[in-house]
This record gives sequence, C-alpha cells and structure tokens, in this order.
Amino acid sequence: MPTVTTDAIALSNVLAELAQRQLPCGGWAALASSSQPAIEPTCYAALALGSLPVGDIERAQDFLLRTQNPNGSWPVVPGDDQEGGWVTSLAVIALRDLVPSISARLQGFHWLLNCSGKESNWLWRWKFRTADRHVRFDPDKYGWPWFPDTVSWVVPTAFAILALNQIPCSCGDLERIPVRVDCGIQMLFDRVCPGGGWNAGNGVVYGRPLAPHADDTAIALLALSDRGQDPIVQRAVQYLERVAPTLTAPWSLAWAILALAAHRRPIAPLHDSLSALPDLSSTEDTGTLALACLALDYSRALSAFGVTG
Amino acid sequence: MSVTRRDFLIGSAALAAGTVVTAPFLLPKYHSDQRPKRSRVAVLHAQQYSQELDQLLAAGLRLFPINVTGKTVVLKPNLVDYIPGNAINTHPLLVLAAAESFRRLGAKSVLVAEGPGHQRDTQLVLAQSGYEQSLREEKIRFVDLNRDELIRTPLHASYTGMKDLWLPRTVLEADFLVSMPKIKAHHWSGVTLSMKNMFGVVPGARYGWPKNILHWKGIQESILDVCATVPICFVIADGIVAMEGNGPLNGTPRPLGRVVLADDPVAADATCARLMGFDPSRIVHVREGARFLGNAAPGFIDQVAEAVAPPAIPFRVVPEFLNLYTH
Repeated sequence: MPTVTTDAIALSNVLAELAQRQLPCGGWAALASSSQPAIEPTCYAALALGSLPVGDIERAQDFLLRTQNPNGSWPVVPGDDQEGGWVTSLAVIALRDLVPSISARLQGFHWLLNCSGKESNWLWRWKFRTADRHVRFDPDKYGWPWFPDTVSWVVPTAFAILALNQIPCSCGDLERIPVRVDCGIQMLFDRVCPGGGWNAGNGVVYGRPLAPHADDTAIALLALSDRGQDPIVQRAVQYLERVAPTLTAPWSLAWAILALAAHRRPIAPLHDSLSALPDLSSTEDTGTLALACLALDYSRALSAFGVTG
Repeated sequence: MSVTRRDFLIGSAALAAGTVVTAPFLLPKYHSDQRPKRSRVAVLHAQQYSQELDQLLAAGLRLFPINVTGKTVVLKPNLVDYIPGNAINTHPLLVLAAAESFRRLGAKSVLVAEGPGHQRDTQLVLAQSGYEQSLREEKIRFVDLNRDELIRTPLHASYTGMKDLWLPRTVLEADFLVSMPKIKAHHWSGVTLSMKNMFGVVPGARYGWPKNILHWKGIQESILDVCATVPICFVIADGIVAMEGNGPLNGTPRPLGRVVLADDPVAADATCARLMGFDPSRIVHVREGARFLGNAAPGFIDQVAEAVAPPAIPFRVVPEFLNLYTH
C-alpha cells in the first residue's frame, strides 16, 4: 500500500461538512439542497464516517436497516418500488461492521446472488447473438444490472463483486457465490474498452470503439484488485494513471485514488490535488463529498470496501 | 341463409374475443390531445458560436408571444459526455445566451438542468465541455437531474406500458421548460432532437447509466411517454455545428449554421428533420407525436425568419435509418 501524508485539515473540513448534511432520519440526500434521503450517498457517508467520532453513524446504519426491502434488496430512495436495485451492494458493504446487521446483510447477499443481467436468460442470449449485434459483447458473460429485468453494466457488476467478496463463508446456498462472482469478472473483462479501461459497459458500438471513463474504470479496478497480473487489468491501471492527473472533478479523482491505491500505484500527487481542490466542502453532490473523505483516508476506505491492496 | 342461435352465440363470442385482443392496439395511447391549433418555428442563421448569439436569440425570441415574467425557467441542454473534437453537446454559449434572454424577458429565475446519459461524473462533463466556468461566471445554477429529488410521476401516455417514472422535482416544478437539443443523427432513434433530448430528465441514480430502461421499453415509445408527461414549453435547438452519422457520441461534426426556435417540440423536430434532409413522417416519435403532442405538417406551422430548405447533401445516418431520407 503506498503511503502519503493525509491532509488532516482538508479531511476534517469535508468530514465536518458531511456530518452537517446528515438528515434527521439518519440518511443523506444526494444533493445538499435536497431533503430526500437516498441510499447511495448514505452508504458512502456511512463508510466515510465509519468509526470516526463525527456524525451519527448509528443513526445512519439504523436508517439503512429500516429501508431494506422485504426481499432483501435496497431501494434507491425510501418509498421506491420494492423490487430493489443496484444500491443493494453498497448497503451490504456499508453495514459490514455492524453485528445486528448480519441477518439483513445475508438477505442482501441472497438477493444479489439471485439477481443477474437479463442476458443470463437463454432467450435474450439468443437475441443478442443473432438479431442485436450493434453493441459488441458476449452475452454468455453476465454480471449485474442497475435494477432487475435489464442487462448487466459495469458499475453495478463491480459493486456486486465487491459486496459478495465480503462474505465470510460460503455455506448453504452461498456456495454459488464464487461461480457467480467469476461470471461477473468475466463480464467485466468482456466489456473492456479496446484502448483499455471501462465506460458504462459499451466498449464497441457500431464497430466504433468508445472511450473509457475514469470513474467506471476505477470502480471496476477496485473489484479486480486481486487480478493485478491480468493484462486487461494492467492496461486499465495504465489508462487510469495516465488520465488521473488531468482530472479536476472530485468524484472521478476520488475513485481514481482509491483504485490506484488498491493496485499499489503512487497516489501522493493525486491526493494533494484532491486536498487542494477549491470549494471541496461546498460540493453540491453529497456522494462526491463522502467519496472525497474516503479518498483522503484511503487505507481505511479500502478496508471498508474489503480491498486489501 | 339462416342463422341459428348457436351460430349467433359463436359469432358474438368471436367478435368479443377479437375486440378484447385488438382494442389495446386501436385505442389511443395518449391521455389528452396537447396539440396547439398552430405552431410557430423560427430558423435563424448563425455560422459560429460567439457572443453575438445573445443578440440573435433575443431577436429570435421576440418572434414568439411568450411570457415568462415571474416564472422559473429551466433550460435543458443536451449534455451527454465529452469527446474532444466531437460535436456532442449543446454549446454552452447558446445556453448562456438563452439564460440571458429569458432573464431580460423577466423570468424570476433561470437555471440549467441535465442528467447526462453516459457519463456518471456530471461535474467532469460540465468542466470539460466548458459549462462549469461559464455558469459560475454568469451565476446560473445547475441542477444534476441524475441526482435531484425524485417524485413518482404517473405517465400521461402508455406507449411503453410503464405506469409511472421517478422524475426530478426541478423539472416537474418548472414553470417554463426549454428543451435545448444538439441537432444530431442517432444510431438507435434516427435523430436526437428536442423530444429525444428529454431522456436527460430520467434520473440515472434510479434507472442507471445509460438510461437502460428506456431502451428496453422501446426508445421511440419512451420518447413519447416522457414528452407527454413532461411538457416542453419551448425549443432552442443547436444546429450551428450539428452531428451526422453514428451519433449521439461518435458521429461526424456537420456545420449546419442554424438555430431553430419553436413553441412546439413536434414542429421543432419536424423542421430540424427537414433541415437534415429527412422526411419527418418517417421518424416514428415525430409521426406519432403529431397525433397528440404537436404539429408536424407544414400547413399547421407558421414559419418565421428563414425558410426551411433541405440540404444539398442530407445528413449521413447508420444503415438502419436510410429510410429517413426524403428521396
């Protein structure tokens, strides 16, 4: 793991702002101007606050436990349909250190295990093989969708892999996890952009290679932190190392720091850049604010994501 | 020929079954006819992006009897992703000119709102495409529609079969929504104009990146359902440098030298299609939209400013949309 000196002032400022944005219900809204709690920013915030004496982590965890759907999944916002969505992976990661959440997490793992991209169905696989060939991908390799009954995409797949890798044992029905995770990893490899790295999941469309995105690449690389020797992963890391110093937006920069740290690449200049971003604490997007906290305290963050680096 | 009671019953049952099966296809899929009696479209000549767009738009807007006094105006540009050299996004100078014009017309507030469909890092797209600095300098608020507050909203049409969508509060509460598309050919929908531009209001945080559910439910059908539910009050389409070929991301920049203003999205898109060398009646969402959302037929459109002339060489499209050509 590379070492950098954490800019304690920058971190404490963003943590204080993050704590201030916590809503009375215990969750966080996606935007500072909003009062509607949402699961994604709440998970990042809960991971960022962790065991620190800032904010009210217990209230955050309680909020997450309260909002779980009966089928074990989590909604994007409270009151959403009860079929669940991609944020389920983030919720089970955010609840990882909480003993009373064991049962809720198990339900979440089971939901994830039974959720897959629509191309896992033979009929859709056949369609993608024969009639719908404009986006180049192998439908045999499927991951997780943003929400049920749609196809697999890179980000939900990467988050699901990170979540399922946190299961301490593979007893009972959970025995299927390694196979399912491996299928997701093969899907990530299949959807890689020809020049290295990932975007949402369309590497080639109408014969034209599409460009990768820094944040999507970083999230995929976090999920593939134990596959550092694979040439696909190495090219993605090279892409991220190349593009990260040019990033001026805290969301992508924070994800890049986490991924490069997980792959043992030097991150000190990126860390300094993130600390020095003007108005970081006044970022409207609360998810971004929480991610900045995680990146500024990356070793704890990687541990929370279950990435050993 | 005599008809027995048994024949009559069998015939009646067959008729009833046929009605049950065909009725869903024959009944209108929209809840109300929103078409104005007449629509107005202005095609303005503009060769380049410059500060002069302020005057051009101010003059163009005077051609319309619009009243935004005291209203909240939301400008919805097309902001998808940033690829250097590609004409993907509505140019920020046009958006700034629109904001300035609506402020001068007495709007209570003008804000810019978008939910990029491809890139999750909205702030990065804003910075790379030149929006961030411009909006900050002009003190124009931007709302990320991918992460805005969500409201479950019943759909006002049923082309997709979906009952509702979670949509952003900022758009639903706007007094005057302006769709500001980039005029582009599109590899899934043929064109992306003011109506397709409304995909950007569907929140990524709920539906993912890209807005995959809209593809699964049918792109043309989704355009109609979203436009029926979130009415577009005005259109300012950026065709100064448009895109042809493999749009919306990897097409070729196509200088068109036009800005299209309209008080009706169907009329705007039909006009833009004609400027691209396409027959609007062959674009499914424009043709169907002309049944309830607006006017596509020239006889119902008051054309002001420049005349609409098809280009000498029509816009290139992917092979699946060669049927769009007028000839």
